[in-house]
Amino acid sequence: MKKINPKPEFLEKMKKLLSQADFEKYERIIQEPLLNSIRCNTLKISPEELKKRLEEKGWKISQPWKEHPEIMIVGNELQPGELGRSIEHLLGYYYIQELASMLSIIALAPKQNELILDLCASPGSKTTQMASQMKNTGTIIANDVNIKRIQILASNLERCGVTNTIITRDDGIRLCEKFKLQDLKFDKILLDAPCSGEGTMRSSPKTCLMWNQNTIKSLSKLQKKLFKNAFEILKPNGEIVYSTCTHAPEENEEVVDFALKEFKDKIKIEEIKLPVKCRPGLIEWTSDFAKYPPRSKFEKSERGRELGNKYNEKVKFCARIYPQDNNSEGFFVAKFRRVK
Amino acid sequence: MIHILSNQETREILSKLKEQFGIKEIPGKLIKIGKEKIYLFNGDFSEEQIENLEKITFIEKTGVYIGAIFLPTDEIRLSIEGTQIFKDQITKNIFEINNEQLENWMFGRELNIKTGLRGIIAIKHQDDFLGCGKASENKIGNFIPKSRRLRSKAV
Repeated sequence: MKKINPKPEFLEKMKKLLSQADFEKYERIIQEPLLNSIRCNTLKISPEELKKRLEEKGWKISQPWKEHPEIMIVGNELQPGELGRSIEHLLGYYYIQELASMLSIIALAPKQNELILDLCASPGSKTTQMASQMKNTGTIIANDVNIKRIQILASNLERCGVTNTIITRDDGIRLCEKFKLQDLKFDKILLDAPCSGEGTMRSSPKTCLMWNQNTIKSLSKLQKKLFKNAFEILKPNGEIVYSTCTHAPEENEEVVDFALKEFKDKIKIEEIKLPVKCRPGLIEWTSDFAKYPPRSKFEKSERGRELGNKYNEKVKFCARIYPQDNNSEGFFVAKFRRVK
Repeated sequence: MIHILSNQETREILSKLKEQFGIKEIPGKLIKIGKEKIYLFNGDFSEEQIENLEKITFIEKTGVYIGAIFLPTDEIRLSIEGTQIFKDQITKNIFEINNEQLENWMFGRELNIKTGLRGIIAIKHQDDFLGCGKASENKIGNFIPKSRRLRSKAV
C-alpha cells in the first residue's frame, strides 16, 4: 500500500481534535489498507443467497452488524480491483461501499413510499442503499451538478436495478429554490455534502495533496447554503441527514450550529444510533482561520464564528466517526427534524 | 424529452414481450427515450409531476433501462436488468449457457453454438439472467454493454 503523507498543517489539526493516544492510533491506522466491505443489493438478491454464492468462490464473508445483514466484509486478501471483477458485481448483486459511507442511510432510515431527495447523489452508493431499503417504492430524486459524475451515478443505479429514481442535473442550491417555488416538499432529504474528504485518505491518498484550509473555508460556506435551502423544502415533521466524509469542524459542527441558529424553533436535532463507535460532536473549536487576515467582508463578519467558537450544546448529538475507532474511513453524520 | 408511454403504447410493448418471452405484466410505467430505448419507472411520481419537474430542471434519467427495440426486426432486446426484472415471467426463448460459455458471454464475445432458436433470446446461467442475445443458425450475438463486461478472468 502506498504511504499516506498528510500535510503537517492537517496533522496539527488532527492533534487538536484527538488525544495523544488517539492521534497515535489515527496515524497508524491511516497507513493500513481498508477492509473490503460490500453491501448486498437486496433489490436483486437476498443477503443469505449472496453470502452463500460468495463463500462458494472461497471468499470469507462476515456480517459485522447483526441488524444489517446486507452489509458484509470480505475477509480474504484480494488483488486490486478483484471485488469489481466478479460476476456477482457485474450483475448488480452487490455494491462496493466503505462501511462509514453506509451510515448516512442507516441514520436517514428511508421507508417505503416516501418521497426523498438525494441532493448531491453521485456516485450513487447512498442512492442505491436508499432504493434498496425502500424496496423500489416511493420516489427518489437523485441530483448532481456534474455531468461526468451523473454518468457514474446513472450507471450504478442501472446496475443495481433501481426503478424508483429520477436523476436530475442541477446546482443543488438552485434546485431547492425551484422546488420551493413549486411547493414540492420532501419526507426526507439526504445532504451528503461536497467536502474536503479528510476521512477518505486511506482509499484516496491524493486527498492529502489537495488538502488546504482555504478550500475548507469555501466548502463550509457552500455547505451552509445547501443546508439552508434543503431544509426549507422539507415537509413538516420531515427529516434531513447531513453527512460528510471529513473531520474538519468547519464543515461539520459549524454547519450544524449554523442550522440550529438559522432555523431556531423550526428545527430539532435528533439523536442517532449507529452500529459503530461514534464520538459526540464538538461543542467548541478554534478555527485555524483565525491565524490569517480576513480576505473579504464576508470573512470578517464570519470571524465571530471562528475565534474560540462555542457551538450550540445540542451539536453533541452529531456523530463523529474516526478511522482508528472502527477500522473504517472518517465520517460525520447529523440528523434533524423539521418541527414546524 | 421524456415520453411516458400511454396505455395503448404500453399494451403494444407488452404484446411484443408476451410474444417473445411470455411476459404478461409490466410492473410500472414505461418511458421511451428516442426511438429505441425503454425505461421502467415504478416510483410514486405521477406523469404530471414528472412533466412539472421537467419544466424546472434537467432530467437525465427516469427509472431503469430495461431494453430497446431491435430496429431491424422490431423485436425487444431486454437488458441485463430487463431480464432480471421479468425473470419470474420469462417462459419462452430462453437459452441456458454453461460455465465456460458464461465467461465468454461476460467478456462480450459471441457464442458459436447452435441453439435451435432464432432472433432475440434471453440468456440464462443457472439462476442468473444475463440479458439478451441474437440467435442465428450457428451463433448468439452478444449485447452486453462494455461497462458490464469482464475485463480479465472472472473471480
